Amino acid sequence: MTAIAPTIPPAHGPASAQPGKYLTFVLSGQVYGVPVLAVREIIRLCPITPVANMPPHVRGVINLRGRVIPVVDLRVQFGLVVGPDHDRTCIVVAQVAATAGGVRPYAVVVDGVEEVVTLAAADIAPPPDFGGAVDTRFITGLARRDVGVSTLIDLEAVAAADGPSEKPAPSSLSP
Amino acid sequence: MPPPPEPASDAVRSLLRRIGLELAFLDATAPGAAGTLAELLPSLDETFAGASAPADLVAAVATARSWLALPSADFASRLGQWHPWMEEAVTAWERSGVLPDWPAGLPPLSAQTSPPPPAAGSPVTTGRTAPARDLPTQDVTVLPAGWEPELMRLFCAEAAELLQDIEQGVLVLETAPTDAETLATVFRAFHTLKGNAAVMKLVVLQRLTHELESLLDAARRGSRVLDRDAIDAVLSGADIVAQYVAEANSQLDGRETGRTIPLALPAVIDRVHAILSSPAAAAAPLAPPPGTVPLPATTPRASVAVLPPPASSPTPVNTGPDSGSRLSPPEPSAPAASAQAAAAPAASVPAAPGPAAPARPAAVSTGSVRVDTTRLDGLLDLVGELVIAQSMVVQAASSGDEHLTRSLAQLRGITTDLQRTAMAMRMVPIRGAFQKMGRLVRDVAVQLGKEIRLIVEGEETELDRTVIEEISDPLVHMVRNAADHAIEPPDVREAAGKPRTGTIILRAFHQGGFVIVQVSDDGRGLDPARIRAKAVERGIVPADAVLDTRDTLELIFAPGFSTAEQISDLSGRGVGLDVVQRNVERIRGKVEVESVPGAGTMFTIFMPLTLAIIEGLVVSVGGQRFVIPTLAVRESFRPKAEALATVHGRGELVAVRGQRLPMMRLGQHLGIEGAQADPTRGIVVVLEAGNDRRCILVDELVGKQEVVIKPLGEMFTGRTPFAGAAILGDGRVGLILDTIPLVRLGRRPHTETAA
Repeated sequence: MTAIAPTIPPAHGPASAQPGKYLTFVLSGQVYGVPVLAVREIIRLCPITPVANMPPHVRGVINLRGRVIPVVDLRVQFGLVVGPDHDRTCIVVAQVAATAGGVRPYAVVVDGVEEVVTLAAADIAPPPDFGGAVDTRFITGLARRDVGVSTLIDLEAVAAADGPSEKPAPSSLSP
Repeated sequence: MPPPPEPASDAVRSLLRRIGLELAFLDATAPGAAGTLAELLPSLDETFAGASAPADLVAAVATARSWLALPSADFASRLGQWHPWMEEAVTAWERSGVLPDWPAGLPPLSAQTSPPPPAAGSPVTTGRTAPARDLPTQDVTVLPAGWEPELMRLFCAEAAELLQDIEQGVLVLETAPTDAETLATVFRAFHTLKGNAAVMKLVVLQRLTHELESLLDAARRGSRVLDRDAIDAVLSGADIVAQYVAEANSQLDGRETGRTIPLALPAVIDRVHAILSSPAAAAAPLAPPPGTVPLPATTPRASVAVLPPPASSPTPVNTGPDSGSRLSPPEPSAPAASAQAAAAPAASVPAAPGPAAPARPAAVSTGSVRVDTTRLDGLLDLVGELVIAQSMVVQAASSGDEHLTRSLAQLRGITTDLQRTAMAMRMVPIRGAFQKMGRLVRDVAVQLGKEIRLIVEGEETELDRTVIEEISDPLVHMVRNAADHAIEPPDVREAAGKPRTGTIILRAFHQGGFVIVQVSDDGRGLDPARIRAKAVERGIVPADAVLDTRDTLELIFAPGFSTAEQISDLSGRGVGLDVVQRNVERIRGKVEVESVPGAGTMFTIFMPLTLAIIEGLVVSVGGQRFVIPTLAVRESFRPKAEALATVHGRGELVAVRGQRLPMMRLGQHLGIEGAQADPTRGIVVVLEAGNDRRCILVDELVGKQEVVIKPLGEMFTGRTPFAGAAILGDGRVGLILDTIPLVRLGRRPHTETAA
């Protein structure tokens, strides 16, 4: 994940997190949260068909009741340690804005879903400045929890990073 | 002045009553409030025409119709004075008395906007001053205040259909201007358009269609024959409506809402007026109303082959006994005759009711339902899923239970039928795409002074509407090419011993799971030598290339190739056939060309029946399965060791029927591990795209399957070698190879051609 899409604000990432309900899930032992309104459903891990010529974090496509949906591995995209799939591994199907208007399905592989939490404004802190040591492009804030913190991320920004405009096709295959 | 016949009198009374009611409820502040009145006034006109009403009554209706264009408030106040006068005047007419004086508060009577009523003695009314008209173009707000998207869409869809009817009909009228049935169809189409426009409160369209309707009405009733001028006027009117609808559609889709567009509205309206008030029209009263008894005195010339009314006919041909009864061609103004005519029709009292009844046909019900295409697609998707889910159940339930097996077989029968029915719902006849061509050929012929006949065959051939959309542009290109370049000017044709009129044949038919569309012409044909020279000059092929005739002809599809010496404004900008080929390939079809120099050219387009489903060859590579569209597959076989060769240590070749073709290992190309390394234990699939061929090596063939094509979604667009995805029999996703770039890999630069 080196190239930066022109659609993404470069420095401090997306708008800060709003209070509301969040779905929290685990990626490589750390807890992340996304607004629950963006989540459509959570399904068990199913066979994923890999798609050639895509960056490594794009695991491929699945058949969700007849729709072909892209699946992204956020652990790879965020540069986390990727362990083998296990029985708690599942797929969170979200919907994000489509370039042509409307929404498009967008699924991510996670190491297990935790819970839905309600966060008040006081629970949310702005994303910290790591001085460039950590990629904070997708982070909207940090949520205080009973134990530790969970990182709130913006799936829209994550998905936009995979937009068709990111880079030209690697070969002359584009029509 | 003779009193009106009873039925006409009743009809007039009832119309006036309705107009009175409408007036009472007219909301003068609402734009387009005059809608219903715009309907009623012409009816009144027609009733008068059928009943030989006094000239001033007719003129009064015409005058009232001309006010329709006014702002609602003015219109309402004028009509408020007009209505009582009409009541009085009709009473006077019934009693054969003298008509009351025209109200002083109203502008003088004018017959300008009226279709010249045949029996109305219009010489009296002509010559009155017409109100001044607007400028040649007018900025028009496309979506009126308070429009409803649903209704507007419906209006646009229906208007598009009606426009097609109109265009089609007008082209027929060009050769057979008195064809009653066609006249009626075109008239009805305008009439319906007008009605719809009124409902939508599109005052501008309503006015325009009203004028055109008047013109056609005059033609329909025989007071005017549509000459080229009139036909052009109708066509340009239809064009304006089309422009309007196109703009409305794009605004409905959320682009530039509220924009106004300039329309040549006043120009067309003026033109129609000019036509209607030209001498031919003024003399028209010679034609008696339909159903009248023959007029003995008013036939200065012999009439030809017309049955019931002996209409005086200066035109030699009049088609069919049936049409003849409704129509009579115009009479060039002959003062004596028209003087007589002014009196004569009045003497003949029709026993039959006026033409009002047949003139107002109810909208014809076709017994069909309009369905949103996204719903249709959704249904098709679900049915596709059902078929797959069903096959999964069948696979899982392979127990020995006979009862279950029978039930499952029955279920399969039903799902198959369901799928077929769902597919059929997307199928529409290709007629729509073909109909445009008539107009196109006509326009090219007129512009270039050529004589061209277009023959259309198989327009009922059905194919997926998305395919039709995609094929529409290529067809336009090809037909335009044929008309513009291929067909020679009449003199040249005559000198070459061919008929002066060139022929273009447009043909569609089904053949083996494909729809084939052919465009053939009897023009000058393609000259291989010239094509070759041009291709060499443009650097498309090297000067020493060895090409057979077929290969040479195929060069015309190369990007940047155009043999037209003169770049005309119609075609020949160097983007033509390559765009055609590109578009056709996009829908997984192909184009072939055959030509005999001097005798003509034929293009054949092979297209899939539908874009939603393809027949695919399922192959596997390293445990992954891929779908290859069978249209692109020429053959497949297990290669023998001696058929393989390696060039330069890397490039692999396979001998296929005496030809060595480059071979690509699909596993390697897609970066799949575990693919079969030994070609003699794999399968070679020969792919073709146009004239190019390439072999790909896969592990094995899994089978042939019809698959529903699913888009991969925007994340993958333009980044992968796949055209889409399909759900395979086990519910997993299989990717569909995009074969064209695969075959042409590294052969031609794949820059997007500016189209």
